[in-house]
This record gives sequence, structure tokens and C-alpha cells, in this order.
Amino acid sequence: MSTIVKLKEVTKIYESRVMHRALNRLNFEVLEGEFVAVMGPSGSGKSTLLNLISTIDLPTYGQVFVDGIEPETLSKNKLALFRRHHLGFVFQEINLLNMLTIEENIVLPLTLDGLPVKEMEKRVAVVAKRLGLTDILTKRPEELSGGQAQRTAIGRALIHKPKILLADEPTGNLDSKSAKDVLELLSEINEAQNRTIIMVTHDPIAASYCDRVLFIKDGAFFNEIYKDERRQTFYQRILNVLSLLGGHHDISAVRLP
Amino acid sequence: MTFLQFAYRNVVRNRRIYAGFFMASVFSVTVFFLYSMLLFHPTIEDRFVQEIAVVGMGIAEITLFIFTVFFLFYSMRAFLQARSHEFGILLHLGMEKRQLNRLVFLETMFIGISAIGIGTSIGFTFSKFFFMVVREIVMLPALPLYVSWQPFALTIGAFLGLFMVMALLTPYFIQSGKVVDLIRGEITEGGMGAYSKIRGYLGLLFLGLSYLLAALTSQSIVLSLFIFLPPLAMIGTYFFFKDSVPLLLHKIQGVRRLYWRGFRILSISEGIVRLRENAQMFFIVTIVSTLAFMSVGTLASLTSFASQYRELNPLALVYASTQENPDEQAHIELLFNELEAEEIDYVLTKFRILKQTSTFTDSNVGILNITDVNKLAIDLGYLPMRLVEGEALFLPPSSSSFESLNERTVQTTLEESDIDIKINGAYPYHLFASNSVGQNVIVLNDFDYRKILSTGGSRLRDSMMYYAFHVPEWEQTKDVGFEIEQAVTESFILNESDVLPYSFDNPGSNYAIIRTTFSLLLFIGLLLAVVFLLAAGSFIYFRLYTTLEQDRKKFDVLRRLGITDRELKKIINRQLIPQFFFPWGVALLHSSFAFLSLQVIWDALAEISIVKELVLVLLGFTILQGVYFYLIRWRYLTHIKASE
Repeated sequence: MSTIVKLKEVTKIYESRVMHRALNRLNFEVLEGEFVAVMGPSGSGKSTLLNLISTIDLPTYGQVFVDGIEPETLSKNKLALFRRHHLGFVFQEINLLNMLTIEENIVLPLTLDGLPVKEMEKRVAVVAKRLGLTDILTKRPEELSGGQAQRTAIGRALIHKPKILLADEPTGNLDSKSAKDVLELLSEINEAQNRTIIMVTHDPIAASYCDRVLFIKDGAFFNEIYKDERRQTFYQRILNVLSLLGGHHDISAVRLP
Repeated sequence: MTFLQFAYRNVVRNRRIYAGFFMASVFSVTVFFLYSMLLFHPTIEDRFVQEIAVVGMGIAEITLFIFTVFFLFYSMRAFLQARSHEFGILLHLGMEKRQLNRLVFLETMFIGISAIGIGTSIGFTFSKFFFMVVREIVMLPALPLYVSWQPFALTIGAFLGLFMVMALLTPYFIQSGKVVDLIRGEITEGGMGAYSKIRGYLGLLFLGLSYLLAALTSQSIVLSLFIFLPPLAMIGTYFFFKDSVPLLLHKIQGVRRLYWRGFRILSISEGIVRLRENAQMFFIVTIVSTLAFMSVGTLASLTSFASQYRELNPLALVYASTQENPDEQAHIELLFNELEAEEIDYVLTKFRILKQTSTFTDSNVGILNITDVNKLAIDLGYLPMRLVEGEALFLPPSSSSFESLNERTVQTTLEESDIDIKINGAYPYHLFASNSVGQNVIVLNDFDYRKILSTGGSRLRDSMMYYAFHVPEWEQTKDVGFEIEQAVTESFILNESDVLPYSFDNPGSNYAIIRTTFSLLLFIGLLLAVVFLLAAGSFIYFRLYTTLEQDRKKFDVLRRLGITDRELKKIINRQLIPQFFFPWGVALLHSSFAFLSLQVIWDALAEISIVKELVLVLLGFTILQGVYFYLIRWRYLTHIKASE
């Protein structure tokens, strides 16, 4: 398997009134087809890391490679097109556009590229069937439950067949049942389509669905663990690292099946 | 932090939201103040033009005030609705409703007092300039700057009272619902919104009908249309924004080939939401803009009438006298002296209009001499004509009668002097104002004219002396012959004008009054229109700011989805342009059709076209609106991009 995302000695400094070092000489690699979770206490630089991989932010020092390109060398325009074609995003705040129906929300990335309507309809049908959204395609986001809305967002992130799916606390606002659905969906997508997924999360249960968990603290590498045979024990090991990590951390109550 | 400080900071730190509203208020106070400065000016005397100026300003002042009432009312309500989240927090923290009312009152008064303060200061600063413009238009000798408490008292009193009433009333618009609802904010974005199909079609029908009627109107029905059309168009417009446009957009949404195309999916769905939220505002903006276009357009068309007045009256001063007039020499002397005193260049042509009876019609005919007529024609820049013995020309009483007279040939005998002449066609140039020389007049060759003079006999006593003063700078003569004019006016009032042995006409002075009146009204109207336009813009500006946070979030999502800067700009353009130019375009359409029916009235009154003036007016407004659009788009883009 080849490397699809690579960060080399990346430092990110935000300079406003107070200088803030969000990432500090971080090295990080993701292989193609991997499902990676990034964990860390609040303010540890998780979101900054995700933004750098998303190419909407550039590092202060060091290098970032995403799917064979180096964002720093491309123009803003090219980066936008790159995101449009190669990356998919799922957010904590589900961020569907309220004025569009579910179907329209899913199809939005394709309309931006001007695909023929026939092709769009075909792809929506496939994605909707797979995510179980077929019955609610004509509804509006405000009529959906949290789980349905997040599945719609995943649909929107997948419709253009991106190589990498980036998720920022995708289960953050969901109840445990919906969270489980979404996570199972993500790992299924990862396995069946060999799609790379990078997920930032607070939730050890969410992290336990991944192949590997990266822990960062104060913007620097802290630890890294790989999954084992049983999710239960993997979850336990994640909890151990988190307690080592200190910081204040809301460890959710154990609610494993 | 005292309560007062809290209220003060609330306003000052929210200044971005209040900017558009504040600007429109300040401008409205400024214009109001300028009008009242003129209203109370000590050197304004009771002359006709100045009276019109004062009355015009007074009416404008009242219009402005009424409009400001509506504007403030609407804006304040929208502000409070937008801040319901904030009020929710305050109530949650345990603020009493009474205190909340006081907070709103204080805030409104802060804005009001500073708007009045800044507005009057700007007004006072510019009043000298304003007086200069008015003086130029009204042609007064001087309008010195003066300081008096009256205009200040009127402006401050009127607006302070207005703001006070607003400040007391507006708190009652705060929804007194549950605190939880307030905190959550009543953001019910999305959804198609309830529109009625019937009213949608009805709106289109009404508008179509009123356009059709306005376009096909004729003189006989135009007046009844004036009562009937405006309400029809207004209801039509209301339904149009509220129901018809959502209906149409919904229809487009049904066709995926059209709808799922690039940004259309975004801009159309966005358009529906904005429309639902702002239909009322769009309606108000449309009506206000239509009114502005109409008033300025009407006034501009009146100005065009004034400028054609000059062509109808080529001569600057005309004095006509019968033989029995004892004052003839004295009056002419007077005119000479006054013209010389004012250093006005002039050329005098003296006509003796003879009277004879024509055998052809058996009625009186006035006779002019071709030499005199040629002299005047050359002065006015026309070529002289030649007539041989026995020949004459009709002198058309008005330019529209030239065509028919020119085709006539009449063989007649002048009874008293027994001279046979052939009247062949009409005199082609427009030298005299309509009917000023008489109804039935001919231009005769020199030879026969002299013969009548020597043999005319008894009828010679009926002849008239006609003094035509040609003054190239004819508007300067407006004060010449004022005494004679007064005498004529007096006898007219006493109903003795038939007995008066002379008549005097000074088109320069009449023209000055007409022109001045119209340009003054135009000036007043333009100032009003600018206030309307600013207010309309401020509605849109405010709406943009209240949704700024939501918009930012939306564009953040889009940016992650991979939207280039150019595409972002395109999307924002498609979102802003309809808001600015859609109501405005409808207003333009409305007023164009309204002017179509106005043209009918003008055709009836005077044969003039108002197209040129209207195009100019509408063009001017377009440019103004364009500038305003770019200004606000620039601010909006800056704020949207600030979140990057």
C-alpha cells in the first residue's frame, strides 16, 4: 500500500494578537485505504491538522503531501478544484444547506462540475440506496433526525467518489444509536471501497472503529496504537492512552454492545 | 457599567448593523433641515416664484417626514426581530420586561439624537451651497446665509418627536414569547414557504392587465385609468413578489435540466428563501422606487415643456398699440430706457399693421409689409422672401396651421383701396408667437402696401403699431416693462382689457417663471428621490447583515466542498444582484408603462415628447443604484472573506 497523505516536520503558527503554535514539528503518514482516527484533548491541534490535510490551510514550516500534490505549490483556484475532485468532507455540525432538499444536497458537488442530469440521477440513486436515504430524498434537512442528516452529509461527501474522506467529529452531535450507524457505515465504506478515511474525534468509541489511532498533545506527536482482533480490547487500550494523555477529557460512558 | 453605558455600548459596538439605517436617517434629517432653512429664509418675499419655492419645499418636507415615519417604523421592527436572540439572553439573565423596554428606548434615542445632531450639522454646513443652487434656479439676487433658531427648532422638534414615539412604541414589537424561543432565535430558514397558486397567477394577471391598459390608453379613458390603475398595479406587485415569483421559481425547480446546472441549484433555492423573507421589503422598495422615478420623470418632462416654450415665442418683447393710444411714445421710451439701463442688446422692428376688408371672405384682414417682415426674419436668422406686385402670403397664426394655408391660393380684392391681389401659399417662418399678430393676416408686397398707405382712407385709423423687440439673450428681459405688464394685468383683473388701447407681452418673463418653477420642483423632487433610494438600499443592507453569520457558515461549507474564489464571487453576485436590481427593475418597468400613459396626456397638452428626459432620469438612477450595489457588495465580500 502506498502513502496517500504525508506530513513532514509540520509546524503551524497562528499569528494574531497572541502567537499560537497549533502544530509543532509533526510527522504523520496515512496509507491508501487506511481508516485513521486522530485524538487529543481540546486545543491539541486536531482540527488544524485536518485543515492542513483539507488544503484549506497551509503549514508555516514543513511539508504536506496529499494524494500526490503539495498544496503549497498550487494556486487557490487549483486547490479548490483539487478539493472538489479528490476530497470529501463530513462535519460535526452537519452543515447541510437548508434551502436544498436531501437529494439536492447530495448532488451539489456534481452540479458544480456540470455533469449531465442523467448521470447525476444515477449516482444519487446508487448512493442513496447504499446509505438508506432513498425514501427521504425529497425531504428537507430540518425534517431529518441527526443520524439521517449525517448520512446525507456522508452521501454528499461520497457522491463524487473522492479518494480521501475527511471527517471532523462526525458523531459529535448524534445519539449513541445514530453514532453507531454512522460509524459502521464509515468502516463499511472503508472496507468495501478501499477509501481512505481520516477522522478527528473526541470519542474513544468512534476511534475504536478505526485501523489506527494517532494521539497528539499540544500540537506534537504523543502516541499511536493499532487495532487488534477485538474492538473491545482496542477500546480499552485507547482509554489507557487517553488517561495517560491527561488533559481534561470527556470520556464517554461505556456503551459498547 | 451603568445601564446607560450598557445601552450606549450596545449601539456603538453594533454600528455595522446600524450603519445603513443611520446613514439614511442622517440624510433624511439633512434634507429636511435644508428645506426648512429655505422655508424660514428672511429675504424671501412674496413673489410668485418664491411662493412656489416655499410651497414646494413645504410639501416636500411633509412627504419626507411621512416617508421617514414609515422607514423608521419598518427598520426598527426588523432590527428588534433580528436581535431576538440577544433579548432572549438578557431576559434569561433576569432582566425585567420593563428594563428591556427602557434599554430599547435608550438605544433608539442614542441613534436618533446622533442622527439629528449629525444631520443638522451637515445640513447647516451645506446650506450655503444649497442656497447657491436655489438662487441659481430661482434667479434671486442673493440668498445670504442666516442664523436663526427656527429651522433648527423645526428639524430637531420634528425628528426628536418622531424618534421618541418610535422608541416608545418599538419595544412592543419584541415578541413576548418564551425566553427559550427567543434564545434559539426564530430562524426558520428553508422550506418553500406558503404561497398561493391562485394569488400567484392573479398577480401576473393584474400586472399584465395594468401594463396592457397603460400601453393602450387613449385620451378619452386616461383620466379614469388614473384612479383605477395604481391600486391594480400595487396589488399586482404585492402578489407578484409574494406568490408569483415563488411560483415561477418552483416551476423552474421542477425542470432538472434547468435547475441542476452549476450554481443555479444554489442561486434559485437561495432566491426562494430570500424572497420569502423579504417579499414585503421588495414590495415596499418597488413602490418607493416607482414613486421616485415617477416624480422625477414627471418633473423632468415639465422642464422639457419649458424649453420648448422658447421655440414657440421667438420674440423677446412685443408691444402692440392702436392709433388712439396716448401712452405709446411714453411706453416705447420706457422700454428703450430699461433695455439700455440693463445693457441688453436688442433690435427693434416696427410694423404698421394695416386693416382692410377682403372681398373673398368679406371680413377684416391684417396686412404686413414684406420689407419689415424680411428685416425681422434676417435678425432671427432666416432667409428673406421676395414678393412682386399683386402678390401676398398668408401669415399662419400658429405653426400647425402652416400646412393647410400653404396649399391655398386665393384671388381677392382689398375693398377700401380697391387693390387686386393673389394670396399664394403661406409665409414659412415662425416669427411671431401664436395669434399675437392676429388671426387673419397676410404679408403684402411693398408696392401694394405703399398704395394702401396712400389711398387707404378711413380704414387707416384702424391700423395697429406693432413693436417687435428681438433680443438674442431673451431671458434677460424678464424685468423689462414690468410697469406696463402690471397695468395690463390690472386691466385684465378689472375686466377692461378690451378697452385697453395697447397690449404688451414679455415671453422672457413668463418663460422665466415657468422654467424656474419646474426646475425648482425638479430639484426638490431629486433630493427626495435620493432619500428614497438611500432608504431602499438601507433595507437591503440591513437584511444582508442580519444573515451574515448564516451566510458565512454556508460559504464555509462551500469552500470546503471546493469552490474557487471566482465561483464564490459569482455565487454572491447571483445572490445580491436580484436583491438590488429585481425590485428596482420591476419599478423601472412600472414607471415606463406609467410614462406611456403620461405621454398621452402630454400629447394632448402640447406636442412634445418626454422620452429623452425620461431616459436620462432612468439612466441616472441606474448609475446611482449600480454604485450603491458595488459599495455594498464590497463590504459584504470583505465580511464574508474575513472568516477565512
